[in-house]
Parts: sequence; C-alpha cells; structure tokens
Amino acid sequence: MINNVPVNIRTIVAVTIGGIAILNAAILWFMPRLTRPDLYFAVTVPPGFRDGPDGKVILGRYRMELILVSVLAFIVFVAGNVLIGIGFAPAGPMIQIVAGFIAFYRARNRVLPHATQPTMIREAELRPDKQTIPGGWIAAAGPFVLVALCAGYLWIHGSTPVHGLIIYVVGMTANLTGLTVVRYGLGHWVRPLYSGGPERTREHQFRRTVAAIVLGAEYYMVIQTSWLILLLRHHRLISLGLFPLVLVLILVVILVLARLGQGGSRLAATEKSLTASSVAVGDRIPDRYWKLGVFYFNPDDSAIIVEKRFGLGYSLNFARPTTWGILALLLIAPLVSILAHVTQFLPKRV
Amino acid sequence: MLRIDLASRVPVYEQIANGLRAELVSRKFSPGEKLPTVRTLAINLGVHHNTVAEAYRQLANEGWLELKRHHGAIVRERNHPEAGPDTMERFTRPLRELVAKGLADGLSPSSLAREMIETARGLEERTAP
Repeated sequence: MINNVPVNIRTIVAVTIGGIAILNAAILWFMPRLTRPDLYFAVTVPPGFRDGPDGKVILGRYRMELILVSVLAFIVFVAGNVLIGIGFAPAGPMIQIVAGFIAFYRARNRVLPHATQPTMIREAELRPDKQTIPGGWIAAAGPFVLVALCAGYLWIHGSTPVHGLIIYVVGMTANLTGLTVVRYGLGHWVRPLYSGGPERTREHQFRRTVAAIVLGAEYYMVIQTSWLILLLRHHRLISLGLFPLVLVLILVVILVLARLGQGGSRLAATEKSLTASSVAVGDRIPDRYWKLGVFYFNPDDSAIIVEKRFGLGYSLNFARPTTWGILALLLIAPLVSILAHVTQFLPKRV
Repeated sequence: MLRIDLASRVPVYEQIANGLRAELVSRKFSPGEKLPTVRTLAINLGVHHNTVAEAYRQLANEGWLELKRHHGAIVRERNHPEAGPDTMERFTRPLRELVAKGLADGLSPSSLAREMIETARGLEERTAP
C-alpha cells in the first residue's frame, strides 16, 4: 500500500524486474563502445579495429542478435510466469544475462580471427604511489558503526526476535567486510596498466570513482536495511518507493562509469603522454587467460583484482585463493538469511 | 621505473634483478630505503610473487638488499668488491651477445661504443660519493 492506495504486488515485481531488464539491455547495447579501444568483445585487437569496417559489421550483428535473444528471453520469462507463477519473476534478469552472453560470445568468436598479441612489456613504479583511495579508516568504519548502533537499539528495546537480530548483524557484517576488502583491494591489489603519464592519472581517477561507489553502496545498504528493520519494528508498512530509488541510483552509477569509460579510457587527456607505455596494445594480458572472455584465471599473476575486459569496473583472478575468500564473504550474507528462514520451518524437538 | 619483457628469453626473475640492480648501482635508492614489497611488485608486473622473491633473494645474496620478514626489502650500504679473475669473463660473455645483437640490428660499432661509454660514465657519476 502506498499512500493508502492498494498496490498489486505483481505490478511492483513487474516494474522492478522490467526496470532491471531495461538497464541490462542498455548496458549490453552500449558496452562494446565503453571498453578500452583496443579490447573488443574481450579480445585484444589492433588500435582502430573497433572503428574500422570489420569492427562495425561485428557490432551491428551483435546488436541484432542481442535484440533477437532478448525477445526470446522475454518470451521464456512471460511463459515461466504464466506457467509457474510470480515466483518465476526473479529468474528474469538471469535469463536476460544468459541471452546477452550468447550474443556476446558469438560476437567474440567473430573478433578472434582479428586478434593481435597484447604488449608483453610490463612496467612498475618503484616509488610508492602517493595517491590514495577515497575513504580512510573512519569512512570505512562508518557502516559497521551504524550496524552496531541499530543492533544495540533493537537489543535494548527487546521487541526484535534474537534470531532476526543475529541474521541482521551477521549478514550485514559479512557483506560489509566483503565490500571493504574489495575497496581495500582496489587500492592495493589492482595492477595498473600504465606506470605513468596521463593514462595512469585517468586510470587512478577511474579507480577512485569505483572505490567511492563501493563505499556509497556500503552506506546505502546499511541505511536502507536498518531503516526497513526499524519500520517493521514499529509495525509500519515498507515504503515501496525504495525499490525504484535503487534503480535510479544504479542508473546514475552506470552513467558516471560510462562517462569515464573502462579504466578512464574515455576521459580526454589533459597532458601529453611521456611514457613509452602509452603505446601499449590491450591490457597486457594474453587472451588465453580470459576463459570465455569473462573469467580471468591466471595462476602466474599475483594480482587479485583486474580490469574487466567486457564491462565497466573490475573482475577477480579466479586462480588466487584470496578471490574465493572474498566471494565467500559476499555470499555469507544471503546464505545466512536463507538458512535462518529455512530453519524456522524445520520440525522443532519437543 | 622497472621494465620487463615477458616475451624475452631472459628469465623474468633475472630481468627484475637486473633492472633493480641498475637502479641500485645508480644510487636512485639510498641505503635504508625500502623497495616495494614482493607482493606489490608482483601485482604491478603481473607475475607470480615467487618470481619477485627470487629476484630479491639474488640481490640480497649480492649484498644489495637486506630482507626482513614483514618489513620488506631494505637497501643496504654496499662497498664495491674487488674484481676477481673471472669477473671480466662474466661481464664479457653477455656483452658480446648484446653487441652482436646490436650489430645485427644495424647499429654501427662506433655508436655502440659511444653508448656504452656514456652509460658507464653516467652510472659512475651517480655512484661517486
């Protein structure tokens, strides 16, 4: 119910899922133009290939196939909802991602014959990087403090069930720890593609932006979850306006990242490049380490976080054990919630 | 700045050791200064940390670095050792190969000699107390 007007839950689910689907479609449509110019559908290509005739033909076919598979995915989604019910709705974005991946994979196969060897020269600055990632320890501690304050308030007033409180604290702490580790990793575990010059500056700007977004997401997650729990405690209805707000925020994040381009590659250079590294082709990683073009698996690379090849932001090196630790932390929160809910329905011992 | 070529036939740990040695010989790092940690350098170069650790160990054995657990690699004050009988031989062999490569790529003997003298003088000037 919003402002005393009854709202059909199906409408809310449809609007939310529809919004996510439109965002996904827009991302998939524009993504090939937002990556680094010498990476096309996760394949290292010669500079200028993307804007050449072959590149344009591949892009055109990709977009046409994207429309076709999206329509098919939509039909599967509608059929699933009709046959199974509203419970099938959350599968919508997943179906769309699979459909998008099919279009991407086919385009990647068309680019592969044009692949070129990436630069095998690697450079490293031996002096410590003085530029810092936004959000020191005080900013990082903020979300944890908010969780503690909210949990303390609920504990003192004693109206929230203990298991609910445990789910909230454990889930939020695990999620926040995972995101904090990711943010720390952006400052310490990401390999810069360039060791100097304007490219390095733009790369750093992009990294700072992503770190700020992660920090913002941490605060947003804590504030929204705590707010919802406090509303429930006072037996008020959840404000459904929060769901479209999430979509708006995601849209803003996507637009900001799209403006920067992957690794800040779409920002105009303000100074002349002075480094030899500026002539580098690709991301200095051979294509064979990118499984299916999207999963980075390189046991000989100590980097845990690397730039995505098809997408904006960063991916993980799945050959490093630390990566699985981060993923486990991020998965604990939903697992704790699911387990807690499931155990409520288990038969109790008398 | 350290630069390596993963496509080179020279082992990566050796390239790293050579590059760092050049920085240390030219006194770009003072005694007591810290080098990047093994993990940081490995991440920045995109190589396994054992490769960087091997290079650091080599430099530590030569007396350039002091490796302390949890403190990284610290540059040591190093006195120039007396050249032994096989020192020149160890120097000449790779030099011959490098000069041959330069000649094969079209460089003239005089330009190679000039470059070598200038490089040695440059390093010597920086090394001088």
